[in-house]
Amino acid sequence: MTTKEKYQPTPKAQAFLDSVENGKYKRQIITGIKKFLDGKVEGGIESLYSESELQALKALKGTPQDVEARMPVKITRHYYELAKNSLPLQTLVKASPKETGNLEGSADPGKQMDYSPVEGLIHKYELGLIYVALTCSAHCRFCYREELIAKKDVERPDGTIAPKGLAQIGELTDYIRQHNEQVAQNGGRHPDTGREKLREILMSGGDPMVLGNKNIAAWWSALADAGIESIRIGTKELAFYPDRFDATFFDMLDKFHAAYPKISIRFMVHFNHPDEFLKRDEEGRYIEDPRGGLEWIESTSKAMRQLGSREWVTMDNQAPIIKGINDDSDALRIMQRELRRNRVENHYFFCGRDIIGYKAFNVPIERVWHILNESQKGLSGIEAHARLSITHYKGKTEVAAVSNQPLAGIPGTENGFVVLKLLRGAEDAPDRGKITIVGRNPDAIWFDGYNDRVIYDEAGLFADVGEEAPGAEIQTATGGT
Amino acid sequence: MTYVVGENCIRCKLTDCVEVCPVDCFYEGPNFLVIDPDECIDCDLCVPECPVDAIYAEDDLPTDQAEFLELNAELAEIWPNISEQKDPLPDFEKWDGVAGKREFLER
Repeated sequence: MTTKEKYQPTPKAQAFLDSVENGKYKRQIITGIKKFLDGKVEGGIESLYSESELQALKALKGTPQDVEARMPVKITRHYYELAKNSLPLQTLVKASPKETGNLEGSADPGKQMDYSPVEGLIHKYELGLIYVALTCSAHCRFCYREELIAKKDVERPDGTIAPKGLAQIGELTDYIRQHNEQVAQNGGRHPDTGREKLREILMSGGDPMVLGNKNIAAWWSALADAGIESIRIGTKELAFYPDRFDATFFDMLDKFHAAYPKISIRFMVHFNHPDEFLKRDEEGRYIEDPRGGLEWIESTSKAMRQLGSREWVTMDNQAPIIKGINDDSDALRIMQRELRRNRVENHYFFCGRDIIGYKAFNVPIERVWHILNESQKGLSGIEAHARLSITHYKGKTEVAAVSNQPLAGIPGTENGFVVLKLLRGAEDAPDRGKITIVGRNPDAIWFDGYNDRVIYDEAGLFADVGEEAPGAEIQTATGGT
Repeated sequence: MTYVVGENCIRCKLTDCVEVCPVDCFYEGPNFLVIDPDECIDCDLCVPECPVDAIYAEDDLPTDQAEFLELNAELAEIWPNISEQKDPLPDFEKWDGVAGKREFLER
């Protein structure tokens, strides 16, 4: 990263920034298998890996199967305390040789890098996604940003290397202003893409909540001054280190609101499993709270109550459904119910993406649909808002229905069929709402599992199959069907 | 922990690292910088930024500089935080790469 010309905040932003204090945090992060191997990990965390597990991982060092070349190992003390008696959480943070047993997959599954006009920005949908941090407090093994976190280059289809560095405030706000000016001059739609003005930015990475308050405040005020109306923060910090949401953070949040009262702050939280936020008794069971619901871990609950008490702040949960972590209807039912009761909207569940090594993590699409559907039986309507999404390069696609019944007279549906619906699309979302019907394939873990059984393709999800186009590339990347 | 400022920072104190640190975990003494091990989030941004290659991941710290691990932790408790880049020490070019600078560390 080169030192770029420093962004000059507006006087209003500067006054706000001058009032922001950074907090002090003790995440007690352990990074790297080497530390475990060298016996330098203590306080219980050393028990996370058995000696044989460590030796198995050590044997892969320097080989193409090196799990840490795929994704470095990283855990906080808080997450260790949650995970030490939870197999699903251990699966989330513990490296395993299984991850690299099959290295098929794509370095850029959603073809996001085709939509990166400036470094650190993905402008694919109506909102802009920016990378503001290269790391998180701990690392999920299934992370689909592994190329960013593990600092790999991503090659575009045309052979160029995509810029995968962090967004810079000056460059990014210049882009927003320029984009919105072009939209305004063209009667409300961008002349090239048909998009409306850029209203919303999703701060991602990495996890923006690893940044200090001053850094976050600098981003928020600059985005607001550039005309952004809603700012999303994609974070797993409520699971990894809830104490990050301390008094200094809420002080910053409130001062930001005082300075920019019309900006909404949208936390996209990431809980995979209720063990990440619920207390358990000695037998590992969740504990009924006599006042209602289940008992929460105090630090998580405190952070969420404070976020939830501010009406300009919203919280939505989205999480992939991953083998061995949350492919469990009962766990998902409890999670959806408890999150909704605590001001968190259940937004999306995802099928795992076709990242490098994805075969170790992904659950077959139809199975995921079944698990989520089962989990939503017994939930009230407002608790069951979450949809199951699988990210096609064209856009987020809902796995809307899986039927065991054949469609009368239509070949290929003898074992039933799957209905996919395009929820979003690139640029001005021309195909939103369109559907695709495919014959069932209970083993399919990615779109290519249906290439040979497309019944109806209004959404065009399989339009490129058989051509030398993106669809064919997915086939190659995943070994085809 | 994390990352460690090593010997070659002494009497140079270029502050490029401070500018890129996302959590502002650098602390400043008279002729040396240190990283607070509790605050460092292992993001690795500062390592390539240092013009005199003085910052190491803990695991990469040369054995003859092992004491700097403890020294960073200790001095981060005492010294004030630094979050904005400033001019390096006047003779930084002369001192870059000079062996045995440990003895010149001022507290």
